[in-house]
Amino acid sequence: MTQNELKRNCLIGLALAAFALPLVVSSPTYLHILIMLFLFAYMTTSWNLVGGFAGVLPLGHSVFVGIGAYTSTVLWLQYGVSPWIGMIIGGLLSAAVGYLIGKPTLKMRGAYFALSTMAFVEGVRVMVENIDMLGPFKLNGPRGLNIPPLPAQEAGFWSFQFATKEPYYYIALTMLILVLALTYYISHSKFGYYLKSGGEEPEAAQALGVNVASCKVAANVLSAFLTSLAGTFLAQLTLFIYPKSVLTLDLSFELAFIALIGGRGSIAGPVIGALLLRPVSEFSRIYFSDTLPGLHLIILGVVLIVVMLYQPRGLTEPLLGLFDRITAGFIRKPQEDTV
Amino acid sequence: MDLVFFAQDCINGVLMGLIYGLVALGLTLIFGVLKVINFAHGSFIMVGMYVSYWAVTLTGLHPYLALGIIVPAMFLFGYWIQNLLIRPIFIAERDVREPITVIVVTTGMWYVLDNLALLVFGPDYRALSPNPLKGQMLNFGEIFISVPKLYGAAAAVATAGLLFWFLQKTRMGRAIRATSLDRDAASLMGINQWKIFNIAMGIGTAVAGVAGAVLTPFYNVYPTVGIPFDVKSFVIVVLGGLGSIWGALVGGVIIGLVESIGPIFMTSTWTEAIVYGLFLLVLFVKPSGLFGQKHDW
Amino acid sequence: MSLLEIQDMTMQFGGLVAVDNLSLSIEKGKILGLIGPNGAGKSTAFNCVAGVYTPTKGKILFDGEDVTSHKPWDLCKKGMGRTFQIVKPFAALTAMENVMVGAFATTDNRDKAAAKAADVMDMLGLGDKKDLKPGAMTIADRKCLEIAKALATNPKLLLLDEVMAGLRPTEVDEIIEIIRTLKAKGMTIFVIEHIMRAIMALSDEIVVIQFGKKICQGEPEAVACDEKVIKAYLGDDYAPA
Repeated sequence: MTQNELKRNCLIGLALAAFALPLVVSSPTYLHILIMLFLFAYMTTSWNLVGGFAGVLPLGHSVFVGIGAYTSTVLWLQYGVSPWIGMIIGGLLSAAVGYLIGKPTLKMRGAYFALSTMAFVEGVRVMVENIDMLGPFKLNGPRGLNIPPLPAQEAGFWSFQFATKEPYYYIALTMLILVLALTYYISHSKFGYYLKSGGEEPEAAQALGVNVASCKVAANVLSAFLTSLAGTFLAQLTLFIYPKSVLTLDLSFELAFIALIGGRGSIAGPVIGALLLRPVSEFSRIYFSDTLPGLHLIILGVVLIVVMLYQPRGLTEPLLGLFDRITAGFIRKPQEDTV
Repeated sequence: MDLVFFAQDCINGVLMGLIYGLVALGLTLIFGVLKVINFAHGSFIMVGMYVSYWAVTLTGLHPYLALGIIVPAMFLFGYWIQNLLIRPIFIAERDVREPITVIVVTTGMWYVLDNLALLVFGPDYRALSPNPLKGQMLNFGEIFISVPKLYGAAAAVATAGLLFWFLQKTRMGRAIRATSLDRDAASLMGINQWKIFNIAMGIGTAVAGVAGAVLTPFYNVYPTVGIPFDVKSFVIVVLGGLGSIWGALVGGVIIGLVESIGPIFMTSTWTEAIVYGLFLLVLFVKPSGLFGQKHDW
Repeated sequence: MSLLEIQDMTMQFGGLVAVDNLSLSIEKGKILGLIGPNGAGKSTAFNCVAGVYTPTKGKILFDGEDVTSHKPWDLCKKGMGRTFQIVKPFAALTAMENVMVGAFATTDNRDKAAAKAADVMDMLGLGDKKDLKPGAMTIADRKCLEIAKALATNPKLLLLDEVMAGLRPTEVDEIIEIIRTLKAKGMTIFVIEHIMRAIMALSDEIVVIQFGKKICQGEPEAVACDEKVIKAYLGDDYAPA
C-alpha cells in the first residue's frame, strides 16, 4: 500500500464513519454541532474556490448565505414553493449577484477587493434591515422571518423540514461530500490550473493564454451559487432568519478564518479548519457564553494570528506531513516482508 | 424646508465630518508608509476610547489634558503591535508588495481586541464622567453648536496640521516619507526601515488615540464601538485617497455631510446604505480617490 | 513572409516616450535580436508586442493579422509565447504543473496537457525536475522553466526577454544551445538580451534601439562595427574618428 492509497482508504473510511455516526450519536445537541461543522466546512469549501484558488480575500460571502436564506424562505412563506426549489433559485440569484459584484471588484488588488466585499455585505444588511416589503416580497426588516414549524406528520422532504436531526445531518454531509468532489474535480481541471496560476502571477498567467479576470469572475459566480445553497439549509435548520444572523461580517469572517487557518487553496484545508475551529466555537459558546462572552472569537483571532505568523499556508500541510511521517514506518513493513 | 435647520445640519455635518477625518487619519498614515490597510483600525479607535475613558475616570483630568497619557500609551501600543506581529510577516514575505497575510493578521487583531474588551469591560455602554464638556452648546441665534464636537473638529484640523508639519519639516518625518516612497532605497541611505515602520504604526495608533479622546466626551464607549468607525474610515480614506492626510479630512467632511443632510430626505438608516454605495462607486470609478496618488490597484 | 511586423510603433507614458516610431519585422524561422543600453525601451517594446500595453500609435501585424490592441491571452492563443525578464513561476505548483498551465492553451484535456508538458520539459532537459516546486530549483532551471511554459503553448513566435541574464557562462551556453535547437525546428524567435556574446551568436539580424528609437539594423557583424552603436554603448570618446 502506498501513501496515496493509504490516504484514499482513510478518506473512504472517514466518509463511511461519518455516515454511520448517527447510529451511535443520538443526542440532538451533538448532532447539531456536527451538522454545523459540516455546513461550515461546506461553506468554507465554496469560499475557497475564490478565496483559495483565485488568490483574493473575499470578506463578504455571507451576502450569498443571506440571499439563499431569504429567497427560499420568502418563496416558501408566501407562495408555498418547496425550499429545494427556492434553494436553486436563491443560488441562481446569488450567482447573478456574484457576477455583478465580481466583475468590477475582482480586478482590484487584495486589500481593495477585501474592502469592497465587506462594504457590500454591510450595505446589503443595512438595506435589508430597512426594508419591510421588497416589491411583493415580505422581508420584514430587522425582525427577520420566522418559518412556522410544521407538525411532525406533515414535515418531510418537500417542505425541507424534519422532526429529527438525522435528515439534516445526512443532507449536510452529502452537500459537503459533493462540494469536495467538485473542488477536487476543478482543481485537477484546466479551470483549476488557470485559477491557481492567475491567483499567483496574473501577468505570467495571461501570457500563457489565461484570461485571469474572467476566470476569477467565473469562480466567484460558482462560489456564490454554492455558498447560497448553504443559506437555504441554514434557514431550514434554524427556521428563523434575520439580517444579523445571515448577513453579517461575523459569518463572512468566520468562513475566511476557517479557510486561512486550515489552509487556503488546498482541498482538505476548509474541512480541517472547520474540524479544528468549530468545536472551539460551539463549546465555548455553550459553556462560557454567560461568563466569558466572546471567548471563542478571541481564541479564533489568536489562533489565526499565530497560524499566519508561523504557518502562513495553513495547518493542512504540516498536519499531512505529520500523517505521512507517522504512517511511513507502518507502510514500509509489508514491503520488507515481501522482499 | 427651513433654512435654519439646513444650516444647522450643515454645521453639524462639517464638524462631525472633521472628526471622522481624524478617526481615519491614522489609517491613511499607516497605509501611506507601510502600504498596509490596517483592518484593526476601528479597534485601535476603540482602545483609544477606553484608554481615554479610564484615564479620565481614574485621574479626574479634563479629557483633553488626558491626551498627555493617551498619546504616549497608544504610541507604544502601536509600536509594539507592529514590532511583534506585522514585522515578522514583512520579513517573511519580502517579495510581496502587499501581502494578504497582513490583512488577515490585522483582521485577527480586530477580533481579539474587540472581544477582549467585551470580556474585560463587559457589553455596557459607558459615558465619560466626570465630563466637563457634557451637553455644552454654543448658541448663535437659532443655531446651536455642540462644544465637544467643535473642540473635536478643531483638534482634527490641528492634528492633521501637526502631522503634515512633522512629515514635511522634521528629520524623522523625512525619513518616514523616504521609506514610504521606496523602502529599499531608503534602507540603502542608512534608514532603518523596521524602526520607521514601528514609529509610523506608533504615530498612526497615537492619532487613533487622539480620535478616541475627542470622541469620548460625546460618544459612549462600548466594545464594538470601533466597527462603525472602522468601516467609515475605510470609506473616508478611499474617498479622499489612500495615504493623503488632507484627503482624509475632506473625505470625512463628505461623509459627515451625507449623514447630516441625508436624513432630511430619507430615514437615517438609509443614509448609511448610501455611504456604502458611495464607497463602492468611488472604488469602481476612481479607486485612487480624490487626492490619492495613482496606484496600480 | 514576415511573421511579425511592427509599423511606426510609439509608446508614451505621460510625457515619457519609451518607444519612438519603431518599425521592424521578423521573417518566419529567423531569430531577431533587440539590443540597446539600459532604459532604451526594449522591454516596453516587448510588452507592446505581447499585449501588456496598447501602443499609443502604430500597428502590430502578427501572421498578417492586425493584433495591435489584442490582450495577452488572445495573443497567446494566436501563437505568441513569451518569457519574463524577472521569472514568474507559480510558486505553489510543481514545475510540471507550471508548464501544464501553458499546455492548456492547446487542449482542454488534462492528460494531453500533461503529455505535452512532459515532452517540452524533456526537450529542455528538465525531465528529472518535474515534481520540484520552483522555489527548490536553481536560477538557470527557473529560466529554463520560463521557456518551457512559453513553449508549451505551441507558439509560432517566441519572445525571449533576457533569459540569460544572471546566468553563469556554461549555463548561457546551454540556453544558446536550446535556442539553436528551437530554431532548427523552425521556430521564429524575437530576443532581447544583454549578453553580447549570446546575441551575436544567435541572431540572424539585430536591431539596436536607444531612447526608444531605432539607431541601427543589420547582421550581427555589421551592427557590431556601427559607429552609432558603439557611441550608444560606450560614449562619444570611443567612436572611431
